[in-house]
Amino acid sequence: MISPDDIVSLLPDFLPRQRWYGAADLELESVELAAFEVLRPEWPVLAWLLVDATFDDASTARFQLPVGLRPLEQTERFLEGKGRSFLGDIDTDNGPALVYDALVDPDLAHTLLHHIAPDEQVSRVRALNVEQSNTSVVYDERLIMKLFRRVAEGPNPDVEMTEALAEQGFEHISAPVAAWRREDSDLAVVREFLDGGTVGWQLALTSLRDVYDSREDPAEAGGNFGPEAGRLGGITAQMHLALANAFGTDEGDPESWAVTMRENLARSRARALDARAINTAYGELRKVKDAGRSMRIHGDFHLGQTMRTDNGWYILDFEGEPAIPLAERRAPSSPLRDVAGMLRSFHYAAEVALVERGPAAEEDELRTLGRRWEQHVAEAFCLEYFGTPGIDDLVPSVDEDRRRVLEAFVLSKAVYEVGYELAHRPDWAHIPLEAINRLTS
Amino acid sequence: MAGPIDWGDSRWYQRAVFYEVSVRGFADSNSDGTGDLRGLTDRLDYVEWLGVDCLWLLPFYQSPLRDGGYDISDFLAVLPAYGDVKDAAQLIEESHRRGIRVIADLVVNHTSDQHPWFQESRQSRDNPKADWYVWSEDDQQWSDARIIFVDTEPSNWTYEPLREQYYWHRFFHHQPDLNYDNPEVQQAMLDVVRFWLDLGLDGYRLDAVPYLFERDGTNGENLPETHEYLKRIRQTVDVEFPGRVLLAEANQWPADVVQYFGEGSECHMCFHFPLMPRMFMAIRRSQRYPITEILAQTPEIPDGCQWGIFLRNHDELTLEMVTDEERDYMYAEYATDPLMRRNMGISRRLFPLLENDRRIAELFHALLFSMPGSPVLYYGDEIGMGDNLYLGDRDGVRTPMQWTPDRNAGFSRADFAQLYLPPLMDPVYGYQAVNVEGETRNPSSFLHWLRRMIEVRREHPVLGIGTFDVLSAENPSVLAYLRRLVMQDGHESIVLCVNNVSRFAQPVELMLADLAGKAPVEMIGRVPFPPIGELPYFVTLPPYGFYWFTLHDEG
Repeated sequence: MISPDDIVSLLPDFLPRQRWYGAADLELESVELAAFEVLRPEWPVLAWLLVDATFDDASTARFQLPVGLRPLEQTERFLEGKGRSFLGDIDTDNGPALVYDALVDPDLAHTLLHHIAPDEQVSRVRALNVEQSNTSVVYDERLIMKLFRRVAEGPNPDVEMTEALAEQGFEHISAPVAAWRREDSDLAVVREFLDGGTVGWQLALTSLRDVYDSREDPAEAGGNFGPEAGRLGGITAQMHLALANAFGTDEGDPESWAVTMRENLARSRARALDARAINTAYGELRKVKDAGRSMRIHGDFHLGQTMRTDNGWYILDFEGEPAIPLAERRAPSSPLRDVAGMLRSFHYAAEVALVERGPAAEEDELRTLGRRWEQHVAEAFCLEYFGTPGIDDLVPSVDEDRRRVLEAFVLSKAVYEVGYELAHRPDWAHIPLEAINRLTS
Repeated sequence: MAGPIDWGDSRWYQRAVFYEVSVRGFADSNSDGTGDLRGLTDRLDYVEWLGVDCLWLLPFYQSPLRDGGYDISDFLAVLPAYGDVKDAAQLIEESHRRGIRVIADLVVNHTSDQHPWFQESRQSRDNPKADWYVWSEDDQQWSDARIIFVDTEPSNWTYEPLREQYYWHRFFHHQPDLNYDNPEVQQAMLDVVRFWLDLGLDGYRLDAVPYLFERDGTNGENLPETHEYLKRIRQTVDVEFPGRVLLAEANQWPADVVQYFGEGSECHMCFHFPLMPRMFMAIRRSQRYPITEILAQTPEIPDGCQWGIFLRNHDELTLEMVTDEERDYMYAEYATDPLMRRNMGISRRLFPLLENDRRIAELFHALLFSMPGSPVLYYGDEIGMGDNLYLGDRDGVRTPMQWTPDRNAGFSRADFAQLYLPPLMDPVYGYQAVNVEGETRNPSSFLHWLRRMIEVRREHPVLGIGTFDVLSAENPSVLAYLRRLVMQDGHESIVLCVNNVSRFAQPVELMLADLAGKAPVEMIGRVPFPPIGELPYFVTLPPYGFYWFTLHDEG
């Protein structure tokens, strides 16, 4: 017998140490058990917990935790260097046991896959880096299981969206093979693993390193990223067309977009922001006559959510911005919000590659070059995106309206980024602040 | 050293390294300013030393030379400037004695308008050769067939006043297409094929094969009738000359080119055209995708077949292989890039294309020698020769082989003015700086490096006929793949190749858990590397660096 309460008692220490905790600026008040199940009773034991955490601002979050237990005397190689995955030890009927995050244990990762997708036969397990809101495990370089750490009621957008896109015949995603649900919550999804791919972010940095080193014009440099960005723009438009087909669209309502943007701005407690200038800029949305459609979108679209493979670009992770409540993440919006996300990502790439080089005498020259890279890449992306047949039905029909809607979403994204950076990476806050400056001055 | 030829090895071409030679440009034995067969024979010691397995000779047949010899006016005679049939036989014999096979270009689609067959055919509409070429009352038929030399030819039809008819030509107007609907033509070409194989030739590189037949409502390329005739040639070779090879030049998209392998019943080999421009682009973009993409789109080929892969050859780098998607891709990548625009579709040799960067030249050859296919080297590239853009057409890459720093690059003792083309004399690529003699003496030369690579490749048949699988790598600048082959003794030969296509040092983590327990040994220096474990295998590469490892069982 294992007492779930013993495990829960370890969580106040464990949870805040996890990258997916997602509440770094909040104190954890309490953790309560919501559900408990033993998926494998013999050593190594696999137990599954659902817990409700309450924070000092009275907000709550529900986490799922597959944990492993092994007899304490066995020192297991897989825990070496994985202190963060270690919960502590508890007493069980079979003696004291070490409790740890089950996903770092290849045996238990097998057990879990078998539980979710009983038909799949695999032999090798590899844990991937832990993401903000989920943890992934790769099996045989063929399947990937993504386990959602924060569990919300209602369908997980990542599962819902990829299933819908696959139904639409949109091939540039990794299609779901099996999903693990409990009541109406998605717990995990198993998909085809995109073997041989590179995340778009890495590819962009590869291009930028070449540009910064050669000092050539980004459109003429060896590492010209324009054609890649163009193809990505085309795929993005196709994704939006497929999503429009799958979920339908409504008339875009720039007023309500502006309301959400203002609310988010008010919620962001960043003093560095000039709220008046930003709100004035949001006011541009009022002048929009035709705002295009409002529809389900990716919601957290950036280079890190794309992957270049031998079959072109793939789009990953449809969970939406992890810091936003689920209902809001699934709310329809303008497809240009995704475009805005990507444009912000191009700016980030140019800046991060610059930071990578460290202080340089010619920093101004490089910064100009980075700005040109960003412009060139954004142009190539937009040219293909807006040139894709059918996309005219989803985006504002007039160029002036397009620009207004797009800029408002770019600005709103940058506002979100400032909050995120101040909470997590204060050294990087200058990046979104610069973008806000550009758009409000 | 190639060693004696194993005549029982009918699949030699799957592991061979080919060396493409222009007879005209290699060595001049009679001091008339033009290279010849005897000159080439005299230089076979060098070819043997280099270690290649097979010579590929550009056309040496009787010709008015209006298209570099691809306009043949007598299939059964040697161009007098190159020698005679006896010289050809001697070249073949001497090559065989050194363990080197010889194949030659053969143009089956058309002849020169100077060929006696055409001279007779054009005279009247009722002479014995009247139907040996494709004649028509007007010039409107088969308008779907594209014009290949759009810059010089307004139409695929040219008027012949003697017959008051038009004749069909897919290439230059002085190269009328043979009429393969005529059984006599089919027979005559089979006799040509037999003639040189009888003399000892080891096979043909078949020029421009997709266009043999014409049919209404088609573009006249890759027609079923064309494949039928190629099968007939293959049968003739298999029955009468087993062990000889047919290598097709079909400048098409890989998915279409594979038709020319038949089900293993047409050509033994086909060139893989799109690979080289993709390699060049991978280097320029510092990422592997241009290469892996094209390999992913390359179909499996039948048993007993092989790709011919090359870095450069006697033609310009062509970008004409087609599907709409590919054209869009090539257009997007090349059309906006000034350097690519300048270099693609025009005649350059390898080293000038690479801006004389030896690191890239080594990486390119390491790729060429380890990717799926038999490598074809172009004469002069092994010493890093340059080109002369001012010579016009494709002559710029066909200048004399640079043997020594002496007069005329040691190529000929003729007066300079008599040379068929001037040797390169510029300070970087000229013969005083770049020549065989100098590079032979210098142990750290590119020539010595390349020779060593040819030797290493020969020791590992897996590089010729092993399976090929690209490994996933998060770092886009790293191209890593495994070649695997189960040998006759049941032991599996595994080679791991890791390449860095960027000019910066790069790290990579390779997922090799399937091979846990194997110990990599670097193949050139035989240096043992740490064994592969369950965790990703970590490798760091210098700029443009590459490693070849054999994987051994630990212990």
